[in-house]
Amino acid sequence: MTLHQLNNHLNPAPEALPASPALRVDGLKAYYQTRWFGITREVRAVDDITLRIEHDEIYGIAGESSSGKSSLIKTIAGAIRPPLNVVGGTVNFDFGTRKVDLYTLKPEERTAIRWKHLAYIMQGSMSVLNPLRRVRQSFIDFAFRHMGMPMPAFLKAVEDHLLRLHLQPGVLDSYPHELSGGMRQRVVIALATVCRPGFIIADEPTTALDVVVQKSVLTMIREVQREMRASILFVTHDMAVHANLTDRLGIMYAGRLVEEGRTRDLFRNPRHPYTLHLIRSLPRIGDAEPRQGLEGTPPNLADPPPGCRFHPRCPIAMDVCRVMVPPMQALGGGHRVACHAVTEGTVQ
Amino acid sequence: MSGADTALLDVRGVSRSFWTGGLLSRRRIDAVKDVSFTLTDARPEIFTIIGESGSGKSTLARMILNGMNPTSGSIAFGGEELTTIRKTRDRMRFMSRVQPIFQNPFESFNPLSKVDRYLTMTARNFTEARSRAETDDASDRALRKVGLSLAEVKDRFPHELSGGQLQRIAIARALIPGPRLIVADEPVSMVDASLRVAIVNLFKDLRDELKVSIIYITHDLATAYYISDRIIIMRKGEVVESGDARAVLDNPQHPYSILLKDSVLSPDVPDDDEPKTIERDRAARSH
Ligand SMILES: Nc1ncnc2c1ncn2[C@@H]1O[C@H](COP(=O)(O)OP(=O)(O)OP(=O)(O)O)[C@@H](O)[C@H]1O
Ligand SMILES: Nc1ncnc2c1ncn2[C@@H]1O[C@H](COP(=O)(O)OP(=O)(O)O)[C@@H](O)[C@H]1O
Ligand code: SF4
Ligand SMILES: [Mg+2]
Ligand SMILES: [Mg+2]
Repeated sequence: MTLHQLNNHLNPAPEALPASPALRVDGLKAYYQTRWFGITREVRAVDDITLRIEHDEIYGIAGESSSGKSSLIKTIAGAIRPPLNVVGGTVNFDFGTRKVDLYTLKPEERTAIRWKHLAYIMQGSMSVLNPLRRVRQSFIDFAFRHMGMPMPAFLKAVEDHLLRLHLQPGVLDSYPHELSGGMRQRVVIALATVCRPGFIIADEPTTALDVVVQKSVLTMIREVQREMRASILFVTHDMAVHANLTDRLGIMYAGRLVEEGRTRDLFRNPRHPYTLHLIRSLPRIGDAEPRQGLEGTPPNLADPPPGCRFHPRCPIAMDVCRVMVPPMQALGGGHRVACHAVTEGTVQ
Repeated sequence: MSGADTALLDVRGVSRSFWTGGLLSRRRIDAVKDVSFTLTDARPEIFTIIGESGSGKSTLARMILNGMNPTSGSIAFGGEELTTIRKTRDRMRFMSRVQPIFQNPFESFNPLSKVDRYLTMTARNFTEARSRAETDDASDRALRKVGLSLAEVKDRFPHELSGGQLQRIAIARALIPGPRLIVADEPVSMVDASLRVAIVNLFKDLRDELKVSIIYITHDLATAYYISDRIIIMRKGEVVESGDARAVLDNPQHPYSILLKDSVLSPDVPDDDEPKTIERDRAARSH
């Protein structure tokens, strides 16, 4: 093989990408529905969300704690269990070789899809490693079936993959509690990506890491993504990670997407009052200027405020905000926002 | 027990090692090596510990909380050696004065126990509250300080709450006994930027108004700069640099501290024609 051929082999020229996005979510609603002694309680964690993620794109989600980010991505990953139920909307994937309408499938089929085409790294997922067994066994339990190769080749592939994530193959012989938080998290990322999925869904995968390791893990994730031309849906509270990694960013508040656009546009020109507050509250090294958190408390999603859910805490709320849900409005350049004040031009 | 030079917490030459591996491959890990520092009673402060993943921060915290003995060195709280605190009554008194906030709420809450139970038990064990109404009131007051209420968390299991909600409940619980020292292990890693500011502001208020000292373990150098009085930077069990937090972070001296500061991602988006930091690193490495 010539060097040129080898290069083409490792980095094939992009085929004409399919016209449809890698993921289409339309009007998705997923609620936690419980009944206690005849009283029904409904937590509207995902409430009417529409978004697209392209092939080869990194899409970030940020937003308030308990605003439904994990619930949303759990639903997109097809990893939900009662009491979380999809009550409306659709989730469509285009995996290139296969298109699926996730919630028309039987639960078993959905699970198969998740293992084959999706990597889903759950929040707090360091606990997916079985504490009583060596790390090697977790790799065998989770990934062996899906790789379709004999055991020695499989273990070799696992070791090569660990090395790419700067982990010594020796970690395979460790028990999870013998590894530091940072190492456990990298093992979990290795576990999720070893099958080379086309779509990676990650919930706070780097929060437990120090900044040096975080940066190397993000660089690795980026490399794996580039190589496989995968799409990534990435949830984190760390806005600096969004600024440096994601192509587009969606902001959630109280179960809804309130703003979306190119990451650069959202940082430079945030339009929703919540996004504006979020960007302004970021402290920086070298700056000890007092900052304030948002007034008031996050809304209770079992009984969210009517109209715009942000109105009880919004500094520029108007009468219409208390009664009418602001629709998502396109501002051009793929920037969308759901706010009456922006739509009516009362704020710039 | 006050006075200019009474030590609230005195950590003297503390080390801790672990043995891992099988019979033939036994290996010693020095998780903490010869760490010393003192917090004084007269001047409550926010004392920050930053460091590599696996550098021994949580192990050090566990020893300060008397949940694990040092292999060598000693720790005293309010002049009392921790190793002498044995009797249940003494332990309870110690625990009412030194409270933990543990790392990763997903691992630290018992999945089979309702979360409000932690608050009720803490109120019953460490305060005057006895009746249901009294413990509920103590729980609700603590929860409101972190933007929650008892109504929202009552009768819920840990898996029914988000990461940030669990983290806030852990903080609220630690506030109930009215401790003198709080040992907070990555208390804000799972909350959004706005809430993060609200929580570190709460730590400042605790320090300034209630004279509580706080050991703040974090990976977030920006909030460390924002609230800390002093800082130590750890690597492989050792303190590599320590001092006034702003001075250290403005002008780090040790190569690891410099690397740490250089690795912090900026919360500003790069210019349109500039590659993102992550891309630049990739390019630099492949050359
Ligand atoms: N019970 C244990 N048995 C064996 N090794 C341990 C044990 N507890 C901790 N260690 C080891 O001690 C070192 C320090 O671990 P520790 O969890 O305290 O680090 P840390 O600074 O809190 O890391 P992180 O930020 O990743 O959580 C690591 O090498 C870890 O593997
Ligand atoms: N199993 C559950 N039963 C009932 N409510 C739940 C459950 N899991 C999460 N919730 C609620 O759904 C909302 C969104 O939670 P989550 O998606 O975990 O938030 P985030 O990831 O943004 O922090 C929260 O109000 C939370 O309390
Ligand atoms: S719709 Fe009204 S309340 Fe909601 S963010 Fe806009 S101005 Fe504020
Ligand atoms: Mg979450
Ligand atoms: Mg730790």
